Amino acid sequence: MKNKLFLLAAFVIFSIASNAQSVQLQFKNQFNGAPLSFDQLYQTPIGDSVKFSTLNYFISNIELVDKKGNSYKVPQDSSYFLLKHQNDSSKTISLSNIPAGKYQQLVFTIGVDSVRNTLDVSRRTGTLDVGAAARGMYWVWNSGYIFFKLEGKTINQVDSLRKNFRYHIGGYGGYDSKTINNIKVRTIPLKSLVVKKGKNPVITIDVAVERFFNSIIPVKILEHPSVMWGDFSVKLANNYEQIFNLGGIKYE
Amino acid sequence: MNKQAWIFALLITVLTCSFFVGKQSVTAKALLIPSNFPTPTYDLSKNPLTEEGFALGRKLFYDPLLSKDGTISCASCHQQDAGFVQADHDLSHGVEDRLGKRNALPIFNALFRKSFFWDGGVPKLDFVPVNPIENELEMDEKMDNVVHKLNASTNYRALFKNAFSVDTISSKEVLQAFAQFMYAMVSANAKYDKFVRKENNTLLDKEELAGFNLFKDKCASCHSTDLFTDDSFRNNGLDNEHPKDKGREEITLNLADRAKFKVPSLRNVSLTAPYMHDGRFNSLEEVMDHYANTVQNSSTLDPLLKSGTRLGIPLTSNEQKQLILFLNTLTDSTLINNKDFSNPKH
Repeated sequence: MKNKLFLLAAFVIFSIASNAQSVQLQFKNQFNGAPLSFDQLYQTPIGDSVKFSTLNYFISNIELVDKKGNSYKVPQDSSYFLLKHQNDSSKTISLSNIPAGKYQQLVFTIGVDSVRNTLDVSRRTGTLDVGAAARGMYWVWNSGYIFFKLEGKTINQVDSLRKNFRYHIGGYGGYDSKTINNIKVRTIPLKSLVVKKGKNPVITIDVAVERFFNSIIPVKILEHPSVMWGDFSVKLANNYEQIFNLGGIKYE
Repeated sequence: MNKQAWIFALLITVLTCSFFVGKQSVTAKALLIPSNFPTPTYDLSKNPLTEEGFALGRKLFYDPLLSKDGTISCASCHQQDAGFVQADHDLSHGVEDRLGKRNALPIFNALFRKSFFWDGGVPKLDFVPVNPIENELEMDEKMDNVVHKLNASTNYRALFKNAFSVDTISSKEVLQAFAQFMYAMVSANAKYDKFVRKENNTLLDKEELAGFNLFKDKCASCHSTDLFTDDSFRNNGLDNEHPKDKGREEITLNLADRAKFKVPSLRNVSLTAPYMHDGRFNSLEEVMDHYANTVQNSSTLDPLLKSGTRLGIPLTSNEQKQLILFLNTLTDSTLINNKDFSNPKH
């Protein structure tokens, strides 16, 4: 009991001394500026009619950078998040113990860094647990996490025929031979993020799903209905890297 | 080659003393590293060998609960009496009589290997079991379902608590138990080993020795070290076109890796028929005939198989016989008879 009190006291003193605060990141999946719905039929910028059924992605290795270029990195073992469109709470990331200050950039990885893809199983807990949270987000035959997963149907307007599409994008660069590296480190300019006591900042990241199909190169679904482990995945990763942008910052 | 006698390198210094995993006391299990083997690739400090963890891995290995319909266990395709491959099956045999894509590889000496499976798609031993468990043609189960099924068993929960001090089982403990069972499966007690380690005055006979000399000359570039593999990926000229199985290229997406497959260890090779990634050869005689007479050319054929005046390895029929006699000295009967690795229910 004494020990616990001591720890509590130490924690309180530490918190006051460092003035560490929490910051929330909210990821908002959108299509043409409106909240993404799996019930709605959409048209991609290339003209395909689509209905989505899965959108999951890993966000990891989160950092905040101040104007001097100093960065605060979220401790790595607690910096892996799996966001699933159908699980609302998964799309809000709460960061605690962020040192007070003014920050100008938010940096995160879309996916899972290469080191973590090859660590032993004791370092794959939480969202990285292949026997729990990471179900369906891991390739077993070609060991590694799926970074970004988008699935659905495309519907031909002429004959109403439906065809499934599946985009499972991963690839950490290879362990003993060099191979595809689809790890994307995204830097989001923030102008100014103020972290201080009582401010409770909430950063919104808009995820413009329609731009998955055209932000760098146009993607016609019927030409690439299934992209997983293959060279075209690099182009899709380049496309989706661009779809994560700042929505806004508010203080609650 | 190490000429010293059979020296046990004890990785765990205290043999039978207990240590603690969390709150639970566990018993360290000795792991013996043969003096003629390379250094282990597995980081034992992350998952030290215990009697409890090993026993659990062994139980899991033989439990069909791991498969979707409860019909297939790891041991279905990795049978102890067949040197931990599936006897008489060219392709591994999964749930609902589905046939896998490739011939099951033996699993012993995993402690020393650099990557796993014919295409090397899994670089870490911890994640080897997830592959057959989730492969639709093999066990067709999901790892999270395996974890649920284990948590639903009072018996397994108690065993995991004993071994890993956990109240709720997660994939971490399941995969660590598996890894312990697999990495402890060291096969190094063949006649050949006793000969190179100079144990009990073991000698190879004249024909075996002739085979050994031929082996060093003609085979050991790829089947190197006392693991009898260099763990590389090579195209050994089975076909000149490769429409179905692209081998290592499926992992690296590099055309230069077309139809390259992991060089298999030759330990216990007399037990592990059929041979090659697709199990096309039923006997070592057929394998010898392939290297001597039927190697096919293609752009990725291994340079060592096209260095002579004709493709393949020049081998007279007598030399082929001598090589097979030598390969038979790599059979480790202590592996297939070791009760530690057998079905705990028997």
